[in-house]
Amino acid sequence: MASSRAINVLFLIGLLLVPFMWDSFVAYQLGLFLLYGMVGQGIGLCWGRAGFLPLGQALFFGVGAYVFGFALKLEAGPLILVAGLLAAILLPALIAFVVGFLVFIRQIGSGPYFSLITLALTMLGFQLANSMDWLTGGFNGMTGIPALPGTDTYETLYYVIWAALVLVSGVLAYVGTAPFGQLLGATAQNEERLQYFGVNTALLKAIAFAISAAVAGLAGALFAPHQGIVTPQSVGFLLSAEIVVWTAVGGRASLMGPVLGAILIGFMASELRDSFQYWEVLIALVFVVVVIRFPGGLWSLVEGLARRLPSIGAKGARKRDLETDKSRADGSVRLAFEDVELVLGPVRILDKLSFRIDTPGVHSIIGPNGAGKTSAFNVLTGRLKPTAGRIEYNGATVGGLSRHRIARKGIARKLQIPSVFPDLSVDRNLDIALWAGNLTLSQMFTLRPFRWSTPLLNEMYDIFPFLEDGRQPAGSLSLGQRQMLDFAMTCLTQSPLLLLDEPCAGLSSSETGEMIDAIERIVATTGSTAIIIEHDMQVVERLSNHVLVLNQGALLANGAMEEIRSNPAVQAVYGGGSK
Amino acid sequence: MELVALQGLNFVYISLTLALVALGLAVVFGLLGVMNMAHGEFVMLGAYSVLVVQNAGLPLLAALPLALAVCAAVGWLLEYFVIRHLYRRPFDTLLATWGLAILMREIVEAVFGRDYKSVNQSLPGTVEVFGAVYPAYRVVLMALMVAFFAGLFLWYRRSNTGARIKAMVSNPALATAVGVNTAVLARGAFIFGVCMAGLAGVALAPLVRVEPYMGIDYLLSSFFILVVGGLGSLVGLLVGSTVIGGSDAIVSAITSKTGGYMTVLVISILFLWLRPNGIVARD
Repeated sequence: MASSRAINVLFLIGLLLVPFMWDSFVAYQLGLFLLYGMVGQGIGLCWGRAGFLPLGQALFFGVGAYVFGFALKLEAGPLILVAGLLAAILLPALIAFVVGFLVFIRQIGSGPYFSLITLALTMLGFQLANSMDWLTGGFNGMTGIPALPGTDTYETLYYVIWAALVLVSGVLAYVGTAPFGQLLGATAQNEERLQYFGVNTALLKAIAFAISAAVAGLAGALFAPHQGIVTPQSVGFLLSAEIVVWTAVGGRASLMGPVLGAILIGFMASELRDSFQYWEVLIALVFVVVVIRFPGGLWSLVEGLARRLPSIGAKGARKRDLETDKSRADGSVRLAFEDVELVLGPVRILDKLSFRIDTPGVHSIIGPNGAGKTSAFNVLTGRLKPTAGRIEYNGATVGGLSRHRIARKGIARKLQIPSVFPDLSVDRNLDIALWAGNLTLSQMFTLRPFRWSTPLLNEMYDIFPFLEDGRQPAGSLSLGQRQMLDFAMTCLTQSPLLLLDEPCAGLSSSETGEMIDAIERIVATTGSTAIIIEHDMQVVERLSNHVLVLNQGALLANGAMEEIRSNPAVQAVYGGGSK
Repeated sequence: MELVALQGLNFVYISLTLALVALGLAVVFGLLGVMNMAHGEFVMLGAYSVLVVQNAGLPLLAALPLALAVCAAVGWLLEYFVIRHLYRRPFDTLLATWGLAILMREIVEAVFGRDYKSVNQSLPGTVEVFGAVYPAYRVVLMALMVAFFAGLFLWYRRSNTGARIKAMVSNPALATAVGVNTAVLARGAFIFGVCMAGLAGVALAPLVRVEPYMGIDYLLSSFFILVVGGLGSLVGLLVGSTVIGGSDAIVSAITSKTGGYMTVLVISILFLWLRPNGIVARD
């Protein structure tokens, strides 16, 4: 990781020396490509890290250019210029945040909706820039923009652009290393799981998009004095598409890849565009191949390492020396389902399900396949909205709330299929669980949360020693270890209520034994309440004295194990009670 | 009265055409889960077919088979070499088709040039509909589109292929296990989808400027139609195209083209926000 940082610094120093090695005209041309490269770095944050693709980034570039161009043309002193620069950065960020949040809160994952909406926005921006003659100069553009005061456009402006590039690179590197960037990477891998940790992923993605827009706005602001003219092309779809191509070819997952892509393709285009008719066709072809086959782009060649972990922040030895106390003052749990119904299409999955849980310890839900066990968890954790009925948790209604809200009320869930963040290290996975529910938005941008530790974490290391080898990616663990990591993460949230969906599924018999011991021990030390869904009656028998039997979406029986065994209705469902 | 009839006919013509483009996108997105970012480029190919036919001095309706042949061939190539390797990887198909869209634009630009082309407006033969004089070519196309939608609706409900497609959509693995050749079916659906875009391109060519970048507008409007109308039903598709086409036409007439565009965008974001599954949700 240190080597990667050294290459970035060398690259930046190399760029600073260009005016001395070639002439200032080359540096002038290069300045434009650096500006485009910065926009690409912003796209890299969204696409390479968070996994959603903005297709209209030129909109923010163009807004920044028009706004700062306008301020420059006023020639009204430094105060106006500073205000103009701030507006050129903040206005795009605001637009991006609002649009991003509106879309992301409705559409989980990297679906096409976001990309198409951003594409439509840039088309709209182009039309607006064309039609608002009084402000933008219309089709002919905003002309006669003076040079940035104190600089010469063809000589010293290059150093200002270079400084902006260094600033942007520094900020993006820091943001990527901080918890914010780690959570963003986790979003790309398993957004839903992250929501069960209480993370508002829509907000996270909207902030990332706003940062990328702010970077584009800054680049646009410098574009105005660099070119002396801003035309509607600067907000348009074509420029947006070109920058996406440069970002991909340069390397979307790296910090400097987009800059390299912009420089290389930019210079080659200015040489070849006129002499070689099929130049654009060639570039489009390269883009298709790179996107599908070489997601690392050219920068991965520079680094000589094709595949890297996205966890840039991983350092050699890490210290967890900040004890945080996550245990909640009142760990008691009162959960009530009242006539909860869930109807999906023609299927009635939950049919007036009612039960209460208000004692600590392990409660089990059993029942034949299709009885509605996992669906009960789904409506409780916000994956599905109940069609009717009430779900109350500690006095508040939770049915129908969004996943992260419910998680923040103190309900943690382990899914049936172990779902960890495979490309992140084991350590980072544990971090995310420790942060769950506790990390404030401002802490996401500091490095201290990496040092958090809790007494329970040390107990987890004791129970599952493999967790101490924290640097391996979680995806390289065996299935059993992933189950255990997932379980550990669920417990580390220290939610009063733990929902464990078949925690022993796919485990060998010795692993099952370990898991049972672990559940018993954790529930005892934290005083939390656990509800487990389980098919294995031995597990149920060992862990819990309270069993709920579900059948056809309703509660069939409810009581201690012995009562359940002797219940004729339960015996009938389980084939005469042979088990 | 004549003016109203003429405007009405134009509106129906545009809405039907948009519905046709959106149908193609809905088939590919709804059935295969592939958001084909190159969809608009097939509209462009259809429009250029009209141009080629006109330059060759052939009757304009000859553009229909040409557009179908070109779109089917290109669609087959894309499906065979790119898309089929990426099914069930939605983000990768988005990226790949986005790249293919750029590629198609650049190839057309290299062959035909960047500049706007227009198709001859003075079409031979007119018919009188409700007192309005209307080009026969467009009346024929409208009739063809209506017949096509009706036929498709009946066919999808009744035919074996319709049932097999439904099976493939709801459970591809099981469909394969019971002997449905999902690979062929998926390829067929993809080619069908892009051919719809090509046909719409033929219908649009006399009305708009034909240029390499014309496709993006149709990708966006058909996407908005799906957002408003929802995936999965022909009724939703027609409702969506009427809402999108109608609000664009009305607001554009009152304010400006930009106003119409902005209205469409706002409506779409509102729908995404309030009714994420569209007016007519898939059950």
